[in-house]
Parts: sequence; structure tokens; C-alpha cells
Amino acid sequence: MTMPVAKLDQIVAEFADLEPRERLELLLEFAEKLPPLPERFVAERDAGLHRISECQTPTFIWVEIVDGRVQIYANCAPEAPTVKGFVSILVDAFSGATPEEVAASPDDVLKRLGLLETLGMVRMRGLSAIQHYIRQQVRKAAAD
Amino acid sequence: MASYAHPEVLVSTGWAAEHLSDPGIRIVESDEDVLLYTQGHVPGAVMIDWQTDLQDAIVRDYIGKERFAQLCSSKGIGNDTTVVFYGDKNNWWACYAFWVFKLYGHEKCLIMDGGRKKWELDGREWSRDPEASYPRTQYVAKEPDLSIRAFREEVLKHTRAGKPLVDVRSPGEYTGELLSMPDYPQEGALRGGHIPGAVSIPWSKAVQEDGTFKPAKELEKLYCKENGLGRRGRTIAYCRIGERSSHTWFVLKYLLGFGNVKNYDGSWTEWGNMVGMPIERGPQPGAVPSEQKPQTTATG
Repeated sequence: MTMPVAKLDQIVAEFADLEPRERLELLLEFAEKLPPLPERFVAERDAGLHRISECQTPTFIWVEIVDGRVQIYANCAPEAPTVKGFVSILVDAFSGATPEEVAASPDDVLKRLGLLETLGMVRMRGLSAIQHYIRQQVRKAAAD
Repeated sequence: MASYAHPEVLVSTGWAAEHLSDPGIRIVESDEDVLLYTQGHVPGAVMIDWQTDLQDAIVRDYIGKERFAQLCSSKGIGNDTTVVFYGDKNNWWACYAFWVFKLYGHEKCLIMDGGRKKWELDGREWSRDPEASYPRTQYVAKEPDLSIRAFREEVLKHTRAGKPLVDVRSPGEYTGELLSMPDYPQEGALRGGHIPGAVSIPWSKAVQEDGTFKPAKELEKLYCKENGLGRRGRTIAYCRIGERSSHTWFVLKYLLGFGNVKNYDGSWTEWGNMVGMPIERGPQPGAVPSEQKPQTTATG
């Protein structure tokens, strides 16, 4: 089994080899493969729970820890594929990781993905909030 | 007023669809979400990003005349090209790009009414092709046309003189409860409220459910009858960073035919961060107290 932190490195490496335009295409591929929200979370989402308030488009995240491993579920607005793509990368990278590994993940994932220049600084802030939120939720779930 | 003052600057999605391969026309997408273009764009359209293409990466300003010319050349836009803008979010960024193009003197600029939303509702084709490359042009940009751009000192003078100022942000941002749009990161300004004297007319009141602009009659009622704005004299619009206000700038100037409208692109992220600037909180427009002058110079 691939180690989760290694998983993030793997995604970063995948992005690193690409031209800026291809990076956007890969980000879109991630956006399109974000798994649908499991039925059991739909009522909570519709009630506005688990929403990342710092994020400009409706973005919802659930974190669970099963047998010491992190599971992340997410729901994002279709009109904001950038957010959806980044969430999908984090879901992919962190699912199956230990809470410690998520806590130790680097702060500058977006920069490592080479998306800083393409997205611009203003957009980066909102996206960074997603990673902070996930880490915070993982910490909370691990403490429970 | 039965129709728009300058109906020729607005084209329908149907018109755009019929002109996709017209060599004299370049269709430009400008979005909040950069990935939308990759996800699907109007066939043959190029993308211009408000942030990474139109703004300087270091100084808070636009790219300048030379780089604007380079940008146009690289997108196959010549001085004679008719540029049709469209985008997400009810054409906010499309209007913003339109405004920047006007700033550098581009003559033929159009807005595709309804933007991405209307194109989608029409069930029209989205292309996933990489951006087409068009032959480079020898674009010559003009000096910035400051008759459509307002700066802070001018805004202060303008409002102190009791001249019309429009705050197009959401009601919560106007009263000072929020620092940004609802659901957006609450950052960017250290103080909440509005510029004293500004009337609140949220930009969203100018659009319909399908993303297109409201008919002339309704716009006239909203801006002129209900809020007392007039075509004579100068009107300044602002928002948080100048994008929503370029939408209102477009409405006032082209749809209602106001003679002199400026966009204050510094907007709330400038005003709400400056030391000593007068601020009004609450639902009333208020006025700049005459004795209150911002200290803009220091000695010693």
C-alpha cells in the first residue's frame, strides 16, 4: 500500500512534469473524479452543516477516522471546478493516512503543485483555507 | 426609456454562436474560476484572466500599455478586432476585462449577454480544445483613459462635494457587518462600512435569473427613479476590488447612457484599509464630515 504522505508527493510529482495548461487539465481531471457525497451526509449538507465558511463557493467536508485511518468526504459546487479539483487532490492524498501524517503535511501544497502562477495570489488564499480546515477537522476527529 | 442607450455593445448568445469563426471577432472568456475555461468554453474563445493576465503581479495596478499590447497580440486581437467578452458569475469578470480593454483604448468591445450561464441554459456546445492560437497582431495600445477610472483622492473630493457615488456590494458589506460578500473569505479590509455619501445598489439587482441584464425600463427605475441617479454629471461606482463595480459601470454607461461614469477599482480594499479615511457604518449613506480630513502627509 502506498503511504499517504508518499501519495501527496506522488501527486506533486505528477503536476511538476507538466506545462501550466496541462496542470489545469490535470486539476480538472481531479475535479471530475471527486467521489459523489455518500447518501448519509446529504441531509447534513442540505442543513448547511460541515461547510467551510472561509471558502467562497459552497464546499462541505466530513472527516472520519476509521481504525486509525483518515477518511474524507466532500461536496463542492460544480461551478467552481478549481475548488473541487483541489479538494479532490486532498481527499485523494489524505484518505487512508494517519491523523499524524495529515497534521505533518506541508502548508504549501498549492505551490508544490505549481498552481501558484496559474491561479494567482487572490485565489490561493481561499484554497489554502480548505487544507487548514481539513487538518483542523482531522485533529478534532482524532481527539474524540 | 424603451431600449438600452447603446444596445450595440450587447450581443446575444445566439449572435455569438453565429460569429464563432468570424476573423474580425475574437471571443474572450474571463472567469472567477480559472478552470471553467478548461472545463468547456465557447468554441474558438481565448481566455484572459483578470488577475494573472490583466493585473501586475507586484504593484497593485494594471499591466500597463506595453504589456496590454503584448497580451492582445498574443491572443490574436488587433486594434480593429471586435472583442466579445463573456464569463461566469453574471459576467462580472467579463465586464471587468471589458473595462480594462476600454482603459487601454480598445474600441470595439462587446458583452455576450448572460455569459456562461445563458450559453449553458441555451444548451449550446462547450469546447474542451486547448486555446486556439491565432496569428499575432501588431497591437498598439493607447495611454490609459482615466475618464473611466477613479482614484481615492478624487473619490473623497467627489463625495465631499455631494456628487453621486454608488456602492454595489451586498447589503451586509455596505452596512459594515461583513468585510466581503456573504460566503466569501472575510478578509481584505481592516474596517467595515461604506464611503460616506454612497448609495447602496447591489450589482445583482441589474440581472435576471438567466444571467442577462434586466430590460432598460427596469434598470431606469432601479438606478434613476428609486435611487436618484442621473445621466448628467459624474457618477462613481465601487465595490470590494473593482469587479462588481465594473459590472454596474457597464450598466450605467452603456445600458442607461450615463455620460460620465468612473469605476473606483481601488474600492473597499483600498478605502477600508487607509489610515484616517472617513467611513460610514449602517444603512444610511451619511456624509463626509467637513472637518475630517485624512492625513496623507507627514512631516519629520
